[in-house]
Amino acid sequence: MERQEIITGLIEILRTVRTIDPSKLDNVTEDTDFIADLNTPSTEMINIAAKAEQKFDVEFEDDDIDDLGSKVKDIVDLIIKTKQKI
Amino acid sequence: MDFMDNLIGVAPEDVLVHGPKKILLNKYHWHQPNVGIIASYAPTAIDVEDHFGIFRGVDQIEAFAQATIVSCSAYSECIKQQCTFNYLKQTFNPLFVGIGQVNFRGYLQAGDVFISMGLITFYKFRQMTCDGRIYKVPEGLDVDNYFGNYTKEQLLKYDLEDGFTLIAELFDVTGRGIKK
Repeated sequence: MERQEIITGLIEILRTVRTIDPSKLDNVTEDTDFIADLNTPSTEMINIAAKAEQKFDVEFEDDDIDDLGSKVKDIVDLIIKTKQKI
Repeated sequence: MDFMDNLIGVAPEDVLVHGPKKILLNKYHWHQPNVGIIASYAPTAIDVEDHFGIFRGVDQIEAFAQATIVSCSAYSECIKQQCTFNYLKQTFNPLFVGIGQVNFRGYLQAGDVFISMGLITFYKFRQMTCDGRIYKVPEGLDVDNYFGNYTKEQLLKYDLEDGFTLIAELFDVTGRGIKK
């Protein structure tokens, strides 16, 4: 799975989060920070990770989420890493 | 360790990492893991000191959180890790992540017994969210006996006899266990 394909899927997830301003999703890159750039509430980070599990058919470890950074590239890396374990 | 079926019979101080001055929870009365919990507390004179004899709203929220998201997630994490509450206390701290809406409908004085009724709405990656209510318990009621045969269906409807007084409704109370 290509990184851009994952980012596109993540943006689809982010569009379902009512606390994120949709206009901020037009220029999302790997360096976009969920908290600093998108003002994502910390409670939503876990929900986004849970939705990403479903969308990309992966299962994250609790510890992976503990260590997850707040940038888009961090979750892209985690999805790829988790897929490689399957 | 023998893993218990639920938190009934467990002392809250064994589950919570909070010290004795900060625990706002006396007893678990009903608990179905993955569903919810009912637990009680009675504010002390110290709890209402310098607050015109009334238990503060913010402490109601804290009491609800201790009874619901902290206790239920500690239980579930112990089951998942097959570990003791002591081990969990040494490795994780409960973090209050956020609350949605709270509507206060009444007040509590020192000595009033109240129950927190929490419904688990989300639990993943050590983060738990509960909705629920706080009710003042009728004076003299045997709370253990009253909830002895309580069911999930009753909890979902907050099915209580008329003597219970609604004190607060709480939505999206969220906490997370974070590694120390």
